[in-house]
Amino acid sequence: MALDGNVENAAKALELGLATGFGAIGPGVGVGFIFGKTIEAVGRQPELRGQLQGLMWLGFALTEAIVFYALGMAFVAFSIA
Amino acid sequence: MILPLLDAASQFDPVAEFTEFVSNPYVDLPLGLDINKAVIYIWMAGILAVLLPLIVIRRGLKPRPGAVQTTAEAVYDLVENQVARSGLPEEGMRTWFPYVATLFFFIWMMNLIGFIPLPFGDHEVDLWGLQVPQFQIYAATANLSVTLALTLMTFFIQHIEGIRYNGVIGYLKSWMPSGLPAFSVKSAPLIILIGIIEVISQLVRIVSLSFRLFFNLLAGHLVIAVFLAIAALLGGGQLVFWPVQILIGLPMGVAIFALEATLIAGLQAFIFATLSAIYIGGAIHPDH
Repeated sequence: MALDGNVENAAKALELGLATGFGAIGPGVGVGFIFGKTIEAVGRQPELRGQLQGLMWLGFALTEAIVFYALGMAFVAFSIA
Repeated sequence: MILPLLDAASQFDPVAEFTEFVSNPYVDLPLGLDINKAVIYIWMAGILAVLLPLIVIRRGLKPRPGAVQTTAEAVYDLVENQVARSGLPEEGMRTWFPYVATLFFFIWMMNLIGFIPLPFGDHEVDLWGLQVPQFQIYAATANLSVTLALTLMTFFIQHIEGIRYNGVIGYLKSWMPSGLPAFSVKSAPLIILIGIIEVISQLVRIVSLSFRLFFNLLAGHLVIAVFLAIAALLGGGQLVFWPVQILIGLPMGVAIFALEATLIAGLQAFIFATLSAIYIGGAIHPDH
């Protein structure tokens, strides 16, 4: 079966979506884990809330950044392919 | 009916908005020192980052603070206690607290200005017969050059301070994890391998620190642009699928905009400054 239409553009669009989507799975789990664990920790020791929140945001940003590595590579592949 | 604004949005290419400005600068200077949109945004952020604290100080600090002073004090407290003290040791505070605080304010201002629509568009829009520049949102930090320059500053400060406080040999030794066996013929391959890994991890810090800020802002702006433009992009400037276009694109765009402007803009500045403090502090006091 012959493929007609603009196969190259379709493949590029698929590539961008798939790369970003798969790249977001891990960090999504990680971010949820960080917030969940912080809630747990604050539940145990409410007096440490301030310090824990600082660590939480640090961990959140470090984890979230991994999505952007996937997104960045997806853009690179999108623009050079 | 083709609405003029939607028509303009239908020719909108999100990626081009972040690359096109480089090739048409306002003032063309040699050596790549062009004054383009990003430079104007950096200048605005710099002026704001200097002026806002200055205005607060000039108004006079009162023992019973008003709303403005309370906000300023809260931000200062955040920068001193959460950002600087989480990384910098006591002897480094005097020298590097101003640097870290400046990083925070400067990046925060660059991010925040990026969410105010300003008439700096690369194209002009025909708005019912009137040629006006496009209002657009654009952040200077959505440029790799800007974030890379800030990252390299932290990188060099970190290593220069590490060498100044510990000496070259002592500083290089401090990269190695504790508990390694003493250097001998038998342990040499292991120690060399770990040394190479540590050098790579130091270099990767440049990439991770600059890419985090860059892609957070770039992706944030792209997502806002895509959602707000969905209204026009789907129908080629016409309201064909109007329930999808108006009822999904618009609220999602506004929601992402609110999230980015309130949380991400400040958070990324916070993270960049905190990590800079941790890196510099770690070099000054390796076992800290």
